[in-house]
Amino acid sequence: MEGIHLNDVHVQFDHPSGITIAVDGVTQQVPPRSFVSIVGPSGCGKSTLLAVIAGLQPATSGSVDINGRRVTGPDRDIGVVFQEDSTLPWRNVRENVEFAMQMAGVSKGERAAKAAAAIELVGLKGFENSYPATLSGGMRQRVALARTLALQPGVVLMDEPFAALDQQTRIFLGAEVRRIWEQTHQTVLFVTHDISEAILLSQQIWVMSYRPGHVIDVIDIDLPDERDASIVSSPRFNELHNRVWTSLQKESMRGFQDVETA
Amino acid sequence: MTTLTKLRQSQFVGAVVLALLASAIWQISSGLSFVIPSPAATAEAFVQNFADPRYLRDVGETAQAVAQAFIIGILLGGAIGLLLGLSAAARTWLEPLLIAFNGVPKIVLYPVLLPVFSLSGSKIVMGVLFALFPVLINVAVGVRGIPPVYWKLGRTVQAGKWQLFVHILLPAIRLPLLTGVRLAISLAVVGVVLAEFFATRFGLGRVVLQAYSHGEYAQMVSTILLLILAAFTVSVLLWRLERRVR
Repeated sequence: MEGIHLNDVHVQFDHPSGITIAVDGVTQQVPPRSFVSIVGPSGCGKSTLLAVIAGLQPATSGSVDINGRRVTGPDRDIGVVFQEDSTLPWRNVRENVEFAMQMAGVSKGERAAKAAAAIELVGLKGFENSYPATLSGGMRQRVALARTLALQPGVVLMDEPFAALDQQTRIFLGAEVRRIWEQTHQTVLFVTHDISEAILLSQQIWVMSYRPGHVIDVIDIDLPDERDASIVSSPRFNELHNRVWTSLQKESMRGFQDVETA
Repeated sequence: MTTLTKLRQSQFVGAVVLALLASAIWQISSGLSFVIPSPAATAEAFVQNFADPRYLRDVGETAQAVAQAFIIGILLGGAIGLLLGLSAAARTWLEPLLIAFNGVPKIVLYPVLLPVFSLSGSKIVMGVLFALFPVLINVAVGVRGIPPVYWKLGRTVQAGKWQLFVHILLPAIRLPLLTGVRLAISLAVVGVVLAEFFATRFGLGRVVLQAYSHGEYAQMVSTILLLILAAFTVSVLLWRLERRVR
């Protein structure tokens, strides 16, 4: 049972005014060492689903297995990269990258070696002693990525890691993530609302519907493994983009109407 | 020359000019009334005091009480601040009470404290009551201001409670905490000396009041100057630390 297995995952939130069903029965799997993206409109529960897989949010019913182990809470074998800037401003780049290893009790020498390798992998060599305040938003997300990769987790979950960045930086960092993945071949589940980003990065895309969120479409991305940002202009890319967009469009409209009439 | 050293130099020149100006005004006004001692007489009393073992004992008493009030105030204020910052329930229950209590002129409690904590204990308690609040408020606000993603990060890497405290909470609130500590030292001095004005056997507050009632104004002013100097020095040192940490 390698990879990520979702078995009929439901998540609902109770509040005084009623119940919100955020995730409504998702049964899917991410094959080991593959890159899968979830796309969906805002509020479709894709981040909630990721939080459940990360062990940060309990599922109301259903279960998640990662590499044969049931997820019951956070686990260092599950690496998470957040949307928000999670670099610690009082630590320089090296110390930030070492943070997760330090919490795990990794020895100093091993920490330094792994941090150096992770920093090199994300292209931050030469910035080891810089503090986050002196780095751009994109570079800080690289630091967060290096911190996650340094622990060498079995799976990496990314929750819209580039959402707060400008379009150029996004595409560039997306290509970087793809390059890094081709080197490490970790199992990656990537959440985004950007269709191009999802196609550029993934081998498979899950399209999620607006509330209650469930997977309405699974699209295999049959683009060559060796790809860079130039693939965006290829005909196949456009076909895939249209395919995802058609699935999404109805859902986005539904979410939009829901907000309008609310 | 960099702009920073230039700025430092002009700051220094400004401070010297201000000190000279203040001394000149002091010298002139001391000539106008006998209740104002001249700077020279004050300086003389300042130096002579340190040859008097009784005076040294007073200095020691006050310093000790201030140090105790300061440490207890920081620990207590830090603990309550932490509780308020971390627990929504504690905020609901304690916050209105604490805000109301902070508004009370604390010195009115002194007669109540005296029979409970005795002469030597009451001034420490008074110092604690003064030092407590800046630490408490700064810690509570600092803890609440910690970005939620730091806690999420802590959870995903399975950091323990102690690790969260040492590696996330403390460094995240370092600046408000230091501000609180800096204010606490001055306020601990205020609380202790104020208590000593009212009732105590030893201490600089008593020296000041006694000098006043005996008409020894040079003695009185020199002791006040000592108190100002001590509180000022510690504040400046902590302020420098605060800026370094930034």
